[in-house]
Amino acid sequence: MNFANLLNNYAEAVAMILFGIGFSNLLLQKNLMKKIIGLNIMDTATYLFLALKGYIEGRKAPVVVDGIQSVEAYVNPIPSGLVLTGIVVSVSVTALMLSLTIRLYRRYHTLDLDEISTRLKKEGK
Amino acid sequence: MDGMLLVSIALPILAGVILLIASFSEHLRQAETLGKKKTGVRKEQSEGMKGLHIYVGLVLVASVALTLTTAWTGERSLTLFTLLDEIPVFFQIDDIGRLFATIVSIVWLAAGFYAFVYMKHEGNEKRYFGFYLLLYGVLTGLDFSGNLITMYLFYELMTLTSMPLVLHNGTREATMAALKYLFYSMCGAYAGLFGIFFLYRYCDSLIFTAGGTLNAVTASGHGGLLLTAVFVMIVGFGAKAGMFPLHAWLPAAHPVAPSPASAVLSGIIVKSGVLAVVRVIYYIVGPEFIRGTWVQYTWMALTLLTVFMGSMLAFREKIFKKRLAYSTVSQISYILFGLSLLNETAFTGAMLHTVTHAFVKCGLFLTAGVFLSYFGYTKVDQLDGLGKKMPVTMWCYTIFSLALVGIPPTGGFISKWYLAEGSLESGIGVFSWLGPVVLLVSALLTAGYLLPITMKGFFPGGENKAVSKKEPSLFMLVPLIVLAALAVLLGMIPNPMIQYVSDIALTLLQ
Amino acid sequence: MDFIQNFPFMSIILSLFSGPLSSILNGKWAKRVNMAVITVIGLMSGSVLAYVLGTGQGFVYRMGHFSAPWGNEIRVGVLEAFMALFFCVIMLLCMLGGVAEREKEIEVSKQNLYYIMVNLLLCSLLALIYTNDLFTAYVFVEINTISACGLIMIKQNGRTIEAATRYMIMSLLGSGLLLLGICFLYDLTGHLLMSNIKEQVQMLAATGQYHIPLVVSLGLMSVGLAIKSALYPFHAWLPDAYGYSTLSSAAILSSLVSKGYIFLLVKIFYRVIGFNVICESKVIHVLFVFGILGMIMGSVSAIQERDIRRMIAYSSVAQIGYIYMGFGLGTEIGVVASIYHILSHAATKSLLFVAASGITDASGGSRQFRDLTGAGFRNKLAGIAFTVGSLSMVGMPMFSGFISKLLFGQAAMGHTHKMLPTLIALAVSTVLNAIYFMKTVIRLYAPGSGEEAMVEGRVIHIKEQPAKSVALVFFILLNLILGLNSEPVIRLIESGLQMFD
Repeated sequence: MNFANLLNNYAEAVAMILFGIGFSNLLLQKNLMKKIIGLNIMDTATYLFLALKGYIEGRKAPVVVDGIQSVEAYVNPIPSGLVLTGIVVSVSVTALMLSLTIRLYRRYHTLDLDEISTRLKKEGK
Repeated sequence: MDGMLLVSIALPILAGVILLIASFSEHLRQAETLGKKKTGVRKEQSEGMKGLHIYVGLVLVASVALTLTTAWTGERSLTLFTLLDEIPVFFQIDDIGRLFATIVSIVWLAAGFYAFVYMKHEGNEKRYFGFYLLLYGVLTGLDFSGNLITMYLFYELMTLTSMPLVLHNGTREATMAALKYLFYSMCGAYAGLFGIFFLYRYCDSLIFTAGGTLNAVTASGHGGLLLTAVFVMIVGFGAKAGMFPLHAWLPAAHPVAPSPASAVLSGIIVKSGVLAVVRVIYYIVGPEFIRGTWVQYTWMALTLLTVFMGSMLAFREKIFKKRLAYSTVSQISYILFGLSLLNETAFTGAMLHTVTHAFVKCGLFLTAGVFLSYFGYTKVDQLDGLGKKMPVTMWCYTIFSLALVGIPPTGGFISKWYLAEGSLESGIGVFSWLGPVVLLVSALLTAGYLLPITMKGFFPGGENKAVSKKEPSLFMLVPLIVLAALAVLLGMIPNPMIQYVSDIALTLLQ
Repeated sequence: MDFIQNFPFMSIILSLFSGPLSSILNGKWAKRVNMAVITVIGLMSGSVLAYVLGTGQGFVYRMGHFSAPWGNEIRVGVLEAFMALFFCVIMLLCMLGGVAEREKEIEVSKQNLYYIMVNLLLCSLLALIYTNDLFTAYVFVEINTISACGLIMIKQNGRTIEAATRYMIMSLLGSGLLLLGICFLYDLTGHLLMSNIKEQVQMLAATGQYHIPLVVSLGLMSVGLAIKSALYPFHAWLPDAYGYSTLSSAAILSSLVSKGYIFLLVKIFYRVIGFNVICESKVIHVLFVFGILGMIMGSVSAIQERDIRRMIAYSSVAQIGYIYMGFGLGTEIGVVASIYHILSHAATKSLLFVAASGITDASGGSRQFRDLTGAGFRNKLAGIAFTVGSLSMVGMPMFSGFISKLLFGQAAMGHTHKMLPTLIALAVSTVLNAIYFMKTVIRLYAPGSGEEAMVEGRVIHIKEQPAKSVALVFFILLNLILGLNSEPVIRLIESGLQMFD
């Protein structure tokens, strides 16, 4: 195990740890709100990773301000574009999840998905 | 492209489907009337049954005639369509297919005419005859199939179309028995398919060729695997033939099925398992491949065990049809034992026994059906004194029993003689003498469970029941007499049959 | 460039825009628009298929005429066009079959919303089939998820909302992994277009560089898509979602949505990574094991089920297991078998769902097993259709299921180590299938019926539903065609896979 490597790429490591936190929250939490928070952490971690990969030390954002400079002066704009797209996707997904949660809460007055399941089974519908 | 072959398979199938549609629409009307009126009285269906009988009889005679002429007029083959790459649905008539097709046709005619009268008290005749005709077409297809995949296709169809016959009276027991039958057959068939996949890889082709098509080059080094596959196939197809350990469906299915259905089930369907094993061992794998291997020995041991166990169980059984079912279990394993010996004499014996057993067991079940439909007797000890009431029927029963035990001059004697001789000839250590011993013991047991019925039938101890002589209707009697005559004829004039069968044996085992 | 090359892109755009259009229409018109759109897209896909078959090679459609490494591309081969056509046919039949249920179960004011979702779903499926860009694929995966969720929850009761929530959670886990996998791959290769990635990956694989990250990214994508397509043990959401949503949703979800993800996985295997690299990695072993587990466990759960819809749903778990097992074999013919099974399962499972609804209608709306006695006589077409579907699922010759089983068996023979487990699993799962499907069929045709249902005071009304009947007849035909005329379809799949490279 090369710890020096890990330290050099600490930002990526952080992104991965965040992804893990988000993933396990989404998977294991019972509370729907916490699940949604987990989802957002997970997505954000991925965007962090993407943004890190797209950034090159000492270069500018690819916005042409003062005349055309050489290509080497800018970073690659595609990862940023991907992050933007990803954010849009995750916002819409989050909105959908939240609306579902509201529906469920209005019906069952709880945010615990397992409890809702057992209640549904009891109703026998 | 040979139209004749296709027609002989398609005619009964189409005729059966037409009947099924008719029966189905009848059911629909019933369901509707049930929905409207709350009275659940079943409509009497007796009117119009005559028309049905004429229709079924005509179709049956026509398709049997067609099948026999197709079978006995020269070599025919037909490729219908291609299923996967290089696996066509392919038919081809060879000697053994001819033999089986002929047996099927005779038994089908006998049990079919018998059923005209018998099925009256079971009801739902249209459905019964629909599936009956359908099954005949499928069996013809099975006998004529020219490669393993086609055979498998019709084998599965056979299971599917014969299941409704078991299911016929629709009681809970019948449903359970049918499910059991389906389950065992499916397990068996998929074990067979499992083996087919292996053979597909190691054989030159899946077309039936005398002596086998196993490719020695690709198979070398995979001997153990292939042997296992072959064994699995034997056990799998043996399920249909009631071989231990997959025999349990027979005693469950026979008592609940209508008697003519059990007659064809025991006489014919069970033989399809035998045919499948013959096809796999003698036509695809080749007898040389398993000679002297553990597969042959285990197979022999299994069949001998089944022979003995079946007889024992039959001996202890008190329900008549169940007793006959166990008897089938034991008798079919005679045939399989003969096949497992892998020599000419034994093969001849096995095929002779196939023929004899088909006629005899069909006849036995039909007699059981006579007793059941006229008196409602299902248990063995109820049959005392029946010989006075129905002498002809009882005499037929006696002939069938003698043939099954193997007493000359019946067909059973010849076939068992060949089986025993083949076993002694084979020179496989213990088995060569163990075989005849088991056969003998089982024959004694067979005598023990079949003949007392005759004896008590004619000479009931103590006081007689009220005797009024009443033979069953001619439709039931004639098939019985014909089958009994065939059973005797096979023993009296065996030579043409032996000649035909030993020719097959010669081509298969040089 | 021929005009016909525009069709794939036009079909995606058409279905995308017909969604918003539906929002300003009322339910009835939205339905008509939806049907028309599906038909038109089907016709377009058919002509694309004919075109591709005619020229004998695939084509690339550049979006906005940006060339390769920068622009976004659509890539069309035989298999893509065929899949698009097939999906359109199945979707049209599913929509036809479920007309009456939709009108009954969905509030009138929300009916047009349903068609928005269906249009979006079709759009995302088409995009998944055609796209040559991984990130685009990701975006459409999410659109697919959202619209599928909409399809589940449109019938508003507690069950469906709960099922939709569970579905969303599992799907989001899956798409999170997929996205991370795509990011890894992008990081490794610097490309998003599938063909460009493949060049780089082949180079990396040849030199042995970055072996671990490559496998990790491959694993992430495979597992992500496996979760989304309900591979065992990630199937917990499936029975509820299929069992309680409205009929056409259940049919579409089971036959198309999961298949879209699986098709994307095939594309990732062939076009992004390269099949040789896949075969060397351990990922396919994992898929193989879980596929086999799914085959067995899905059937076991189905046997225990007492509700006919949920039983069919559990059977889907088993069938998805078959497909992944085929991938797991790691041979070309295994993939062919899997793709054939995608087709055969799509045709059969939607048939079963539609037929089951006809049967439950004839049993007073009850889906419980005990109430179905004799329903085959009360609704004849549905009964026959269910029997056909069951036989196909069990693998009876003549129906599509048999061919796929034969193909799986053939594929297994080409593999030394996985041969035995595959064949045994095939045999066991077939027998299990036979148990529960045959049990149902026997129940459907058990005599002495009618009365019992009457006794319990249920009213049995069999309304003639022409749309459903048409759908059922076509489904049966589709099954028979796939079962009897399999040769050309298999050739098509094989040539399509060759065009992938």
